[in-house]
Amino acid sequence: MGLEPNRRHMLTLLAAAGGAASLPGLAFARESADPVYTAFEAARERDPWTLGFADAPAEGFDTVARRLHGRLPDGLSGVLHRNGPARFSRDEWRYRHWFDGDGLVHGWRLTPGEDVTHHARFVQTPKWRAEEAAGRFLMPTFGSNPPNSQGMRGPDDMNAANTSVIVINGELMALWEGGSAWQLDADTLESRGPRNWGEGLGGLPFSAHPKVDPDGTVWNFGQAPAQDALVLWQIGADGQLRRAEMVGDVPGGMIHDFAVTERSLVFLVGNLRWQTPRLPYLDSFRWDDSRAMRVIAIDKADWSQRRSWDLPPGFLFHVGGAWEDRDGTIHVDAALSEDSRMATDGARDVMRGTPRPESDGISRMRKITLYPGGRFEQAEFTDCLAEFPQVDPRFIGLPRRYTWHVGWQRQQLRGATRIVRRDLVSGETRGFDFGEDIAVEEPLFIPAHAGATEGEGWLVHTALNKRERATELHIFNAAHVEDGPQASWRLPYACPFGFHGCWRPV
Amino acid sequence: MMFSALTLAAALGAAASDEASLTVQVEGLETPQGAVMMALFDAPDAWDGGEAVAGQRVAVDGESVTIEFGALPAGEYAIRMFHDVDGDGELDMNLMGIPSEPFGFSNNARGRFGPASWEDAVFTLAPGENTHALDLR
Repeated sequence: MGLEPNRRHMLTLLAAAGGAASLPGLAFARESADPVYTAFEAARERDPWTLGFADAPAEGFDTVARRLHGRLPDGLSGVLHRNGPARFSRDEWRYRHWFDGDGLVHGWRLTPGEDVTHHARFVQTPKWRAEEAAGRFLMPTFGSNPPNSQGMRGPDDMNAANTSVIVINGELMALWEGGSAWQLDADTLESRGPRNWGEGLGGLPFSAHPKVDPDGTVWNFGQAPAQDALVLWQIGADGQLRRAEMVGDVPGGMIHDFAVTERSLVFLVGNLRWQTPRLPYLDSFRWDDSRAMRVIAIDKADWSQRRSWDLPPGFLFHVGGAWEDRDGTIHVDAALSEDSRMATDGARDVMRGTPRPESDGISRMRKITLYPGGRFEQAEFTDCLAEFPQVDPRFIGLPRRYTWHVGWQRQQLRGATRIVRRDLVSGETRGFDFGEDIAVEEPLFIPAHAGATEGEGWLVHTALNKRERATELHIFNAAHVEDGPQASWRLPYACPFGFHGCWRPV
Repeated sequence: MMFSALTLAAALGAAASDEASLTVQVEGLETPQGAVMMALFDAPDAWDGGEAVAGQRVAVDGESVTIEFGALPAGEYAIRMFHDVDGDGELDMNLMGIPSEPFGFSNNARGRFGPASWEDAVFTLAPGENTHALDLR
């Protein structure tokens, strides 16, 4: 065998990941206590809000929840799966960023006539397993570079599987946004491994907010910001790949979520933009408001067809939903802020256990109308700050009225306290405020039955009760959130805050 | 004539004393099939996009392989290698250009956003026999 093919392929290997120059590790021997670890340990002593950012036990959780009031509504039977970062420190060294923690996947089992049970397991990524064995962090993460960290052979080496969960054709997966979806056993939550969707697709990013059409088709994307590109995914209701391709000329912004309409995939590219590869990864991005916030609508049927709009600079994590008129006008609502301080500062501050007003993310729900030809309108709902927007899943991509989200007031730095239903047509809001002892998490809408009208159903969400130092589960009538929870349960412990969940009917 | 022969012998002896061989033991092959493709570089410029000084392809039928390089000048070298699991002679990559077959570098060095650097992967071949152990896990 001649050398030439070897050489050529070795050169190809050199070109992997764009041939970016490797950076020297910031490896050094630790000489003194980690200041972030020390600051958080001190904050824990005085502030129960820090329970939301503390380490969960490595073995996870298993228990029966205590019913506080009410009962499980008739027709509600299933498992609420949630995911979120839950391991932040090892060997007395603490991550610098909330999004770095290893993913803990929960299952809250709601069975008629039975106790509500809670179990949770860490996703057994290679990162988790190696670091459990080593007793210290080994890999660089999204926002941290631990002492003496190792290099990487690909993004899945640092996959934290910590952002969301989805069930596709009965298969439960933990989602991150920089690498593979992670397959789990839906009942036991034991890990099976990375989901490879097909030849040439192993290890590609599969983001944490897939969208499911009424026919069960799953759409998703993965970011390739250094290449100003996205991977687009189309998965059938049967869980089989329909299509995956790279789409270029998408500004390298940090894109966390997107929207679908019947015809389009809609990306809002905020102004936290890719600059140059750095460690930690987050430092590869910089706020750049010299350019527009680009909105791109890609034709679902022909990914080479697109329309775009230039909006004033801004930043977002989450989109509510979108729909499209016959003339191509797109309506989309999202939780937008004027800057990215929540990502770059706020989510770092919480690791020290000390939120600061100047780095608080100020996101509010905004309704944006994108007209053919590049014209747009946007209206901001100023009644409260907002995050974790959710919609009736049967109306994803379709005209609808309602968005549910968590809400809070400015200067209120220790978590959202309200559950809000927002009517995008009339502007009406209905809300319930738990008060400052309770920090509420993403409210998930579950339709009452297949024939229910939009918004007829329940909201299920978890919350940290700071006074009781315990995590709770609350169920609302989604049409009357102002009535407060109709049933509530409490665990004998507090879980770290999660990000996103999904409902698996059983 | 005798003088020339002696001079030649001395010259050969000098060359032989500066010559090195390398045995690379590769462990951690998770799939007992295909081949290990290995390239040896002798300079930073070559490492960063130039020509390898030697290359080997060795079939895989277990968890490890041994690869031999002979008749090399002593000096600094670095290795790039991959496990060509499907035996197609290519390092398979996903759509984004990230390798989907196991790969590695000498010193078990790892890159950050790409291949390991020359500085992390370089090792010295002394005159005579040398061994280098790599693990693809």
